[in-house]
Amino acid sequence: MELQEELKSKIIEALNLEDIQPEDIDDDAPLFGDDGFGLDSIDALELIVLLEKNYGIKISDPKTGKEIFKSINVMAEYVAANRKK
Amino acid sequence: MRTLHHVVITPHRVVVDEEQMTVTSSGKMMLKEIYQSNIGNYPKFYKMDMLCKLGFVASELLLQKEGNRNIGAKGVVDEENQRDDRAVILLNSSSSICDDRAYQATIDNLDDYFPSPMVFVYTLANIVTGEIALRNRYYGETNFYVLPQKDEKVMTQIVEDSFQDEHTTSAICGWLNCDDEDHFEADLYLVEK
Repeated sequence: MELQEELKSKIIEALNLEDIQPEDIDDDAPLFGDDGFGLDSIDALELIVLLEKNYGIKISDPKTGKEIFKSINVMAEYVAANRKK
Repeated sequence: MRTLHHVVITPHRVVVDEEQMTVTSSGKMMLKEIYQSNIGNYPKFYKMDMLCKLGFVASELLLQKEGNRNIGAKGVVDEENQRDDRAVILLNSSSSICDDRAYQATIDNLDDYFPSPMVFVYTLANIVTGEIALRNRYYGETNFYVLPQKDEKVMTQIVEDSFQDEHTTSAICGWLNCDDEDHFEADLYLVEK
């Protein structure tokens, strides 16, 4: 499975986005903010846990998280470059 | 104190103002079924723990009976309809045990130790009163009491005490207990002074 698709499925599962299908998430669309999927700061923390649990990536600086979670494509790029598993 | 509407939800039964609702599922799935068929447009529902889902669905059924409620595009009551004269006062005996267990499961195994922030935020029973207040823009009193067991007399006294201030004119109140996904009870009332 392409990393983008894998991330979408994992995000939907981790954040309980039951109303959303993977195909509803555009690879370049913002995940947060008014144009996104209504995600909040707790969701951002959950995404940080998701990266550590699934890819062994530890993010300690919240500013880094803000950059990484801009879109699925940005996230996939970061995961591909930094994954430990 | 006058009762306006009454909702009872148990794992196999939903009764609104003494009239039984038709449901095809039970337990946790039943709450989802009611959300999807009677409420909708509030994706946050799916993120809630069981206690919040139960309280949210029960309060929604009460407020649908009351009518005259305008839900905005973001799934929250319109700003012009905010109110500070309605309290949310709930009670139970198991506090947030259902979510407490779920959170414990995320930290039980040191080799798989990933505390979930989303689960952690619900490890307080009174979060459900906030969820109901946020959805409806209630800025009045919100309280959650944990009792040794269901006690109608104590519950009535607590709600009557809340009406002693000059502000509160009505309340969503009652028993909201959840042990797990298949054992729960909501016995909620909409009452006025």
